[in-house]
Amino acid sequence: MLEHAWLIPALPAVAFFVILFFGKRLPKKGAEVGIIAMTISFVLSIVAAVDWIDRVNAADTGEHGLGAFFGKGFMAAAEGEHAVVAPVVKSVTWWTSGGVDFGVGTYVDGLTVMMLIVVTLVSLLVYIYSTAYMHDDRRYTWFFASLSLFSASMLTLVVASNTIEMLVGWELVGLCSFMLIGFWWEDRENSRAAIKAFLTTRTGDIGLMIGIIILFFTVGSFGVGATNSYALSPGAQHDLLLAASICLMIGIIGKSGQFPLHTWLPDAMAGPTPVSALIHAATMVVAGVYLGARLYPVFYDGFSIEAGGVNMMALIGGITILIGAVLAFVQRDIKKVLAYSTISQIGYMVMGLGVGAWVAAVFHLFTHAFFKALLFLGAGSVSHGGTHHSFDMREMGGLRKYMPITFWTFLIGSLALAGIFPLAGFWSKDEILVNAGSNGFDTFLIVGLIGAFLTAAYMTRCVYLTFFGEYRGHAQPHESEPAITIPLIVLAGLSIIAGIINAAPLGLEKFTEYVEPTFAFPDLVHAEFDYPKAILSVSIAAVAIGIAAFYWFRHEETGPLKGLTQRNKLAHAGYTFLENKYYLDHLYENVIVDGIRGPVSAAAYWVNQHVIDGVVNGAGRTATRVGSFAYDTIDQRVVDGAVNGMAYETGEAGEELRKVQSGKVQRYALWLFAATGVLALAVFITNVL
Amino acid sequence: MVNPSIDVHAFAPEIVITVAAVVCLLVDLFVPQRPELVPRLASIGVLAALIPVLTLAADGSDRSMFGGAFVVDNYTLVFQGFFLVVAYFTLLISVDYIGEGDYYRGEYYVMMLVSVLGLLVMAGARDLISIFVALETISIPTFVLAGWRKHDTKSNEAALKYFLIGVLSTAIMLYGMSLVFGMANSTVLSDISKYAATDTPALFAGAVFLTLAGFAFKISAVPFHFWAPDTYEGSPTPVTAFLSVASKAGGFVALLTIIRLGFFPSGDSWEPIIWVLAAASMTLGNLAALRQTNAIRMLAYSAIAQTGFMLVPLAVAGDVPGNSAWEAVVIYLLIYGAMTLGAFAAVIAAARRTGSAEMSSFAGLGRTDPLLAVMLSIFLLSLAGVPPLAGWFAKFVMFRAVFDAGTTAAVVLGVIAAVNSVVAFFYYAVIPRKTWFHEPAEGAVDAKTKPTPVALNVALLLTTATVLVIGIYPQFFARLGELAFTPG
Amino acid sequence: MDWFDDWALTLAVFLPAVGMALVLAIPRAQETAMKATALLTALATGAVGIGILFRFDYDAAGAMQLDVNEPWIKVIHSRYHLGLDGISLPLLILSMLTVIVCIIYSWDHFPEPHNPKAFLALILLLEVGLNGTFVAEDLILFFIFFELVLLPMFFMIGVWGGPNREYASIKFFLFTLFGSALMLVAFLALFFLSDVETFDMVTLSDLGGAGISQGTQNLVFAGLFLGFAIKVPMFPFHTWLPDAHTEAPTVGSVILAAVMLKLGTYGFVRIALPVLPKAAEVWAPWIGLLAVIGIIYGALCCLAQRDMKRLIAFSSVAHMGFVMLGIATLTDFGLNAAIFGMVAHGLITGMLFFVAGSVQERYETREMSRLGGLLTQAPKLGWILGFCAMASLGLPGLAGFWGEFPSILASYDPAPLADGLFGGNNLYTYRTFMVIAAIGTVLAAGYLLWMLQRVAFGKVNAEFEKAHIHDVHVPEWIAWTPLLVLILVLGIYPDILFSITDPAVSPIGKVFS
Repeated sequence: MLEHAWLIPALPAVAFFVILFFGKRLPKKGAEVGIIAMTISFVLSIVAAVDWIDRVNAADTGEHGLGAFFGKGFMAAAEGEHAVVAPVVKSVTWWTSGGVDFGVGTYVDGLTVMMLIVVTLVSLLVYIYSTAYMHDDRRYTWFFASLSLFSASMLTLVVASNTIEMLVGWELVGLCSFMLIGFWWEDRENSRAAIKAFLTTRTGDIGLMIGIIILFFTVGSFGVGATNSYALSPGAQHDLLLAASICLMIGIIGKSGQFPLHTWLPDAMAGPTPVSALIHAATMVVAGVYLGARLYPVFYDGFSIEAGGVNMMALIGGITILIGAVLAFVQRDIKKVLAYSTISQIGYMVMGLGVGAWVAAVFHLFTHAFFKALLFLGAGSVSHGGTHHSFDMREMGGLRKYMPITFWTFLIGSLALAGIFPLAGFWSKDEILVNAGSNGFDTFLIVGLIGAFLTAAYMTRCVYLTFFGEYRGHAQPHESEPAITIPLIVLAGLSIIAGIINAAPLGLEKFTEYVEPTFAFPDLVHAEFDYPKAILSVSIAAVAIGIAAFYWFRHEETGPLKGLTQRNKLAHAGYTFLENKYYLDHLYENVIVDGIRGPVSAAAYWVNQHVIDGVVNGAGRTATRVGSFAYDTIDQRVVDGAVNGMAYETGEAGEELRKVQSGKVQRYALWLFAATGVLALAVFITNVL
Repeated sequence: MVNPSIDVHAFAPEIVITVAAVVCLLVDLFVPQRPELVPRLASIGVLAALIPVLTLAADGSDRSMFGGAFVVDNYTLVFQGFFLVVAYFTLLISVDYIGEGDYYRGEYYVMMLVSVLGLLVMAGARDLISIFVALETISIPTFVLAGWRKHDTKSNEAALKYFLIGVLSTAIMLYGMSLVFGMANSTVLSDISKYAATDTPALFAGAVFLTLAGFAFKISAVPFHFWAPDTYEGSPTPVTAFLSVASKAGGFVALLTIIRLGFFPSGDSWEPIIWVLAAASMTLGNLAALRQTNAIRMLAYSAIAQTGFMLVPLAVAGDVPGNSAWEAVVIYLLIYGAMTLGAFAAVIAAARRTGSAEMSSFAGLGRTDPLLAVMLSIFLLSLAGVPPLAGWFAKFVMFRAVFDAGTTAAVVLGVIAAVNSVVAFFYYAVIPRKTWFHEPAEGAVDAKTKPTPVALNVALLLTTATVLVIGIYPQFFARLGELAFTPG
Repeated sequence: MDWFDDWALTLAVFLPAVGMALVLAIPRAQETAMKATALLTALATGAVGIGILFRFDYDAAGAMQLDVNEPWIKVIHSRYHLGLDGISLPLLILSMLTVIVCIIYSWDHFPEPHNPKAFLALILLLEVGLNGTFVAEDLILFFIFFELVLLPMFFMIGVWGGPNREYASIKFFLFTLFGSALMLVAFLALFFLSDVETFDMVTLSDLGGAGISQGTQNLVFAGLFLGFAIKVPMFPFHTWLPDAHTEAPTVGSVILAAVMLKLGTYGFVRIALPVLPKAAEVWAPWIGLLAVIGIIYGALCCLAQRDMKRLIAFSSVAHMGFVMLGIATLTDFGLNAAIFGMVAHGLITGMLFFVAGSVQERYETREMSRLGGLLTQAPKLGWILGFCAMASLGLPGLAGFWGEFPSILASYDPAPLADGLFGGNNLYTYRTFMVIAAIGTVLAAGYLLWMLQRVAFGKVNAEFEKAHIHDVHVPEWIAWTPLLVLILVLGIYPDILFSITDPAVSPIGKVFS
């Protein structure tokens, strides 16, 4: 399967066209095509995973089969030594330039396989969920078509064997995100959000593009393997790699909603909830992280991560963790809460990469995909069954009674996100923090802990406002149908157990063994599991939940903090500052975008019409004017101005003749001789001198 | 005193034309009830005259008579052929025009033939006297023809103006020639050129200048052009066509001959003059044409501008190796003849349909008479030099000569020419735009519509064909140009 | 097959002329006969094109093939020399295709004043000029074909154009006439300056300006540059374009955008660079500068537009900027990108103009403020517009990307020139261009998406709610499908084109490396 990984993106791609052209005529309006294709892709991904594990084992111990996967773990944990397992690369000519063939193909290793599973699994669940959620939408078929196209593009990005191919996938997922955010384009707000998302990410893509170009000319190839090996080779040009890393980082910032280009992600919630779950939580937004992980050697050398200290990647990640988490507090829209939480969680991953905790970061990507998808789908279920398509938490409350499944699954998701032992989030987040510490990035360890605190707190708020207290909506809340709840349950299950896969204290380090590349990859140190830190982080989360619960559960109106923002100027200022999302949107939309669309473009066009075109028309006009002058003044008045006049006035022939003889001849003779004389003079000058 | 041997074959074309003229005169006199006979005879005469031209060409050997005063070589034959063809087309254009107005008919054709006789002689003239005689033979009948619309004061004015100025300029020219003779002690060009090769006094340049001034008038080069617009507008349009093609060509041939075989060695005596004439004619002609509202008047000024273009290769001829500059003039002349005749024919036809030569009256002709509109546009755009119509090649050989010469003066002239050829498009495009882009004026057209007569149509179609063919395969005329300067 | 090899190119160029003659011969009344004749001619020409595709030796795509070399105007040493290589082939096919789809599109809606006879005749005449320019191997022949396209387009705009047509048409004509006058001058200079007095492009390219002083070369190149740059059009010689496009009838705009603009860029690749390489090296940075200015400037002007068609017109300025940037790098990478860009722009912008035309036909307006909700009233048309917009903003997977990205790529590593702008370092100059061009792609996304939003998204404007808007017609489908398919196919598998152009451009690239 590793050789034929191209099938995995190909299937949904085919599905896209099938749905597009025949979807409407199919019994299930095209949904079935998407689901079938995705199921097969998922199975294939599993097969690929198995094959990969086999390959690794074969290289390590010669053992074969899954048995090794489970059996081996306990003993292998001690001796972390692995033989180098080369990725499986397949490539065919895609385009030619300068006599060089550029390939398109697949690059399959542990990381790829892991991503394949995440993408196909979450996609599949979301498809199933959507059959119910989008059931009576007028563009039901188109929705599935777009989803299939998205999955195809995302999978292409994942298996890409070279950076251009990555760029293709990268842009196409952007397109899908555009189409799906603006899915209900009748409403101007949605298309606005869609365009905002597309333009913001595309701004980041300038960086990506240039980064890729720099890498190409530095390495001499677009190939992922070649690039990584070059970055680790002793002769690598550090400053070029640094430049490349910075450019690529800009791309990551745009795509993965990192500060300061995160502003599009909350608006992207305008799209249907399944889309938010799949694209804007589990898969597309982590594309940046994936890029970082895929080309890790470049960043590792470029940002000289080994040296410790502060680097762009870690810094951006750290900042994003905090600004995202803080904003999550002031949201009334449940999806926006989750959106900001996504931003800050991706912050963890980016920071993780930045501090050299590659495995932890990728692991967090893995777990986060499940519990964040779960939370979004949960929110969707709430609006579906609970509040009649509203996401405003002021219309929710007390829903746990009406929709128990949704409640429990959502709760699990929240706890996982808050990093409570032993749920998925705990393991991955904790690992990032531990490694940050052990790699000498203590500042970021602290940032991470604060983030953990905030996360726990805002999720508590969110859960409370949604499921506890009195129901404040105007609908008849009821539990959603199975098509919705089953995916929730599955994801909940994963959110519980997914963490075990790389739970160091249990001696399970499957990610370290199978996902972390051994080919063209810096040998990173993996921090031992550190109980104090673990306990610390969990207790911080617990405390946060406690405080938050204490604040919200015993009804606010009596609480000491009640109305603080009204009473205290500083707090109020802070609140409005947050309300306005640090005014970044004002800067981008009102200043930059409107600036260019308004004054700047107007000025350019004015120049076009009045300056450049003015010259042209001016030339034309002058020509005509000179013409009139030459004709009226020189030719007519000087030469024979009067003549015509006389000619026309007099009707009578004899009279005319007399005039002719008397009038014109002298004038003409005069002119003739004058002309002759002048020219003669000229001739003499030219000759005599 | 040896009596010169007359080579009848060499004179055959002239003889044929003379006979034709006489016959026409007699027929007109004795068979007045059959007026349509005269034009037919005239046409036959012109075509008949082509036969000896061809036989002479086939024979190929150069013939010189009267001590080199009259020579029949390829140069002569090319132009005689050209003149006869032009004459034939002029006749085609004239027939109905003259037939319909209450004009003397017979005389018209006689005059025309006499003028053609002059042209034929001019082609072979190699001596100041014979050139002068030829020139007058060309001019005097045209003075009369210009005033043919005898009841039209404008026509009379045109004739008089043309006549008086013609006489004055002839006077100047004669004065110049006499001076030249005084210095070179010969009227034969070959001797003059020998003299010009020596270190000539400044007065010689003056003489040259006065001589050229006369021709400048003939070819209506600025500043000797001012008679042209009025005369062209006033004369019957066929005559205008004849003036602006045949008699102008006659002037050019004279200029070419006299400079190439006579004054050539003393370059700085004539080059500056031609240079100034060229520049002035192009520029003023174009600028004035921009302002015209009457098609004929526009063509008159365009003819002036074209004169300027034609003079360009002549002005730089001194610095061009080989014959390519002379060839350029000849090629330009041939192409100019084709498209200008066509243009006049088309304007006559259009004016017949709309009852006026005002360009505004041509609006919407594209709907009412597409074929005519197409031809009209073809001729004007060809005059503008837009490929693939013949005009482009004329302009091309002109520029080619300029760059071949490559002197500063040449390049400056080339730039002036380039700018002018772009400006020219402005006014040449006016009629095509009127005919195609504009709606026909209400009822204006059908009212005075006269169908285009056969003769005119033939003329139109033939010229159109020429313009198109030469535009796509210029080699024909190019070859003629080359031939004119290859000794037989 | 030898017979075909000898006559293929001549047929490809002059079959349309025959067709034109036939169309003119058919009496006014029989419109269907005219349309049929015109279409058959175009198809026949297309068939010749397919024949050429089969006979073309792709392994020798760098060499001139299917040569015809006969004497034409002996007196001026100009020959009837036609030839075809990997650079000309795609453009020749593009122009054949464009003409076919244009005739199909205008099948049942000729713009006012109807007169299909003249309209079809002009289209076919245009094709003669276009095809001819792409295969001419003799400067004078090239010049004739290059000019031949002017008149038909002049009349097409002037007769069938919009309210401001006279101004637009005369402006278009004078601009190009001016340019070609200078171009002709340059050609003559080349003729007399080269030791072997010839107009033969191949010979001149082999000479590569040998024996001409640098100064003279620069001057002559200036002439060529103006001639071609006006046609492209490059900033600041572009102002004829928006007017011409806005006023021209749909089909006119399509041919103008799809093929005519390429004559200029083709001229650079085919003549200017190989014939005067030394001068090209001096001029390249300046061309690059104008190119990137064009990219940004065109985009900004687009943002200021209210008229859909005018917006697309300005977008051409921006897109041709990318093409010219690719050429200005003087590398095989850049040239490949440029040619791909030409074809891609031809297909995409052609489509955009088609759609704009169909929108205007349905709503009788192009004011974007009045439009909206196209997706509700004519979903298919709306999605096609979206597809083309995406392709136009250079989305990977569609043709546009392969013109844009590689030219940005190439400008990171241009040919080793003496120095860049203002004596600065050549590398930094071009890398600055690269960044600016990259920013241009964002602006492009901006104006195209905003156009899409205003035209296709949102609710239907009140004034059109009642209007019966017909979705894509059959002729439209037939005309558009090939273009849409090609946009997709070339986007997915670009090697179809790159493999043809690469061997042809590499010799040019080598001259400069």
